[in-house]
Amino acid sequence: MAKAATPESFLPLTPAVFHILLALADGEKHGYAIMQDIEGATDGRVQMGPGTLYGSIKRMLAAGLIEESDDRPDPTLDDERRRYYRQSGLGRKVLRRETERMAELMALARRKHVWAVAGSRSTLPVASLRSG
Amino acid sequence: MRASPSAPAPVELSVRLYTWLLAAYPGRFRAEYGPHMTQVFRDVCRRDYGRGGLTGMAILWAHTSLDLVQTTVEEHIEKGIDMSREMFVRWSGWALMAGAVLFAAGLILGSFDSYDMDPIGGVDAIYEISQAVGLALGQVLFVIGLLGLRAGYTGRSGSLGAALLLLAIIGGVVSLGGMLAMNSIDFGWQVWMGGFVAMNLALAVFGVVAIRRRVFSRWNFAPILAGIGIPLLVGIGIAGVDSVSGQAPEWSTLVAVVLTSAGLLLIGYRMQADAGTLQAAT
Repeated sequence: MAKAATPESFLPLTPAVFHILLALADGEKHGYAIMQDIEGATDGRVQMGPGTLYGSIKRMLAAGLIEESDDRPDPTLDDERRRYYRQSGLGRKVLRRETERMAELMALARRKHVWAVAGSRSTLPVASLRSG
Repeated sequence: MRASPSAPAPVELSVRLYTWLLAAYPGRFRAEYGPHMTQVFRDVCRRDYGRGGLTGMAILWAHTSLDLVQTTVEEHIEKGIDMSREMFVRWSGWALMAGAVLFAAGLILGSFDSYDMDPIGGVDAIYEISQAVGLALGQVLFVIGLLGLRAGYTGRSGSLGAALLLLAIIGGVVSLGGMLAMNSIDFGWQVWMGGFVAMNLALAVFGVVAIRRRVFSRWNFAPILAGIGIPLLVGIGIAGVDSVSGQAPEWSTLVAVVLTSAGLLLIGYRMQADAGTLQAAT
C-alpha cells in the first residue's frame, strides 16, 4: 500500500480492499459482519477467508483507509470482545475515486459495445477471495 | 475467546484445529488478530455447519486451508523475512512431513466412517472432518513440499529429474483443484484422483533418477516408496482383484497409505537435513 495520502495513489484497489471499503460504506462493522455483507452483496461469489480479511484490515489500518471504532451499537446485543471498523475520511475518498474509475471503464466498454446495459451481469471485481 | 458450550462437536473440533494452525503466522500478527480470526472462523463454521452439515464443513476447510497457506506466506514476506532458498527447502521439508502425517491420519481415521451422512454429528462427524482436513490441508502441504524439492534439488537431479518434479507439482495442483471443485463439477473426483496419481507416478519415476544420480545424501529410494503406493492401489482397483466388490481390498489401501506417508516423511526429513548443504552442491 502506498504511503502517499492522495486518494489516487491507492488506485487501483485490490478486490479485497475494495469490498471491505464498500461493506463499511453503510456503517461500522466487525469482521464477521464485513464478511457476511460482502457475501450477501455478491450472491456468494466473493468469499473471504479470515486470513485475507484480517491481513487486509491490518494493511488498511496502517494506510489510514479505515479506523477502529470504540462505539458499540448495543453492548447487550453484541460480544464486547469484537472489534468494529469504519471508513476513515481518506477511505471514503479512495472508494469514491475507485468507483468513478470503474464507471469510466464501464462507459468506455459501453462505447465499444463490449458491455450492454440492459440485462447484463456486472463484471465488477468479484473474483473469488477465499484464498485472497 | 472460548467456544460456546452448545457448539456442535465438528465445530468445536474445527475451531481447535484452526486455533492451532494460527501458529504458522508471525507472532505479532497472531497476537494482534489471532483471536479475532478465530472468532470469525467459529462464526463461519457454525453457519456452514448449519447450512450444509459435514459437506459444508469440508468445503469450508478446503477453502480455509488455501487461505491459511497464502496469507501465512504473505504475512511472513511482509514481516521482512528474507526466505532464502535454504530456508525455503528446510520449511518445505517440514511441510512435506506435516502433509504426510495429515494425509495418513485423515485417511486412516476416515476409514472408520460408516458413511452415514447424518448432519447431527457424533463420532462419524469426527472421522469425516478428520478426513476432509487431512486430505485438503495435506494436499496443500504436498504442493509446497514439492516446490521446495524442485527448488533445492534441480541442479542435482538434471533436466529429467527437474521435469519430473514439475510434472509432480502440476499433478498436485490439478489434484487440489479437483478436490476444491468436487461439489461444483461432475468430474471433480476424477480430476482429483487423476492429478494425485500423476503426482505420485512422477515422484516414483523421479526416485529412479534420484538413485542413479544420488540426489539425496541418503535414502534415495524414498521417492519410489512415496510414489508407488497410490498408482499400485488404483491399478489393483482397476484390475478388480477383489472380484466381489470390484474394488481394491482394504488392506491394500492401508499399505498404500503407509508406503506413501513413510516415503514422504523420509523425503521431507532429508530436505530439512540437507538444506544447508544444497547451496554448494547445486
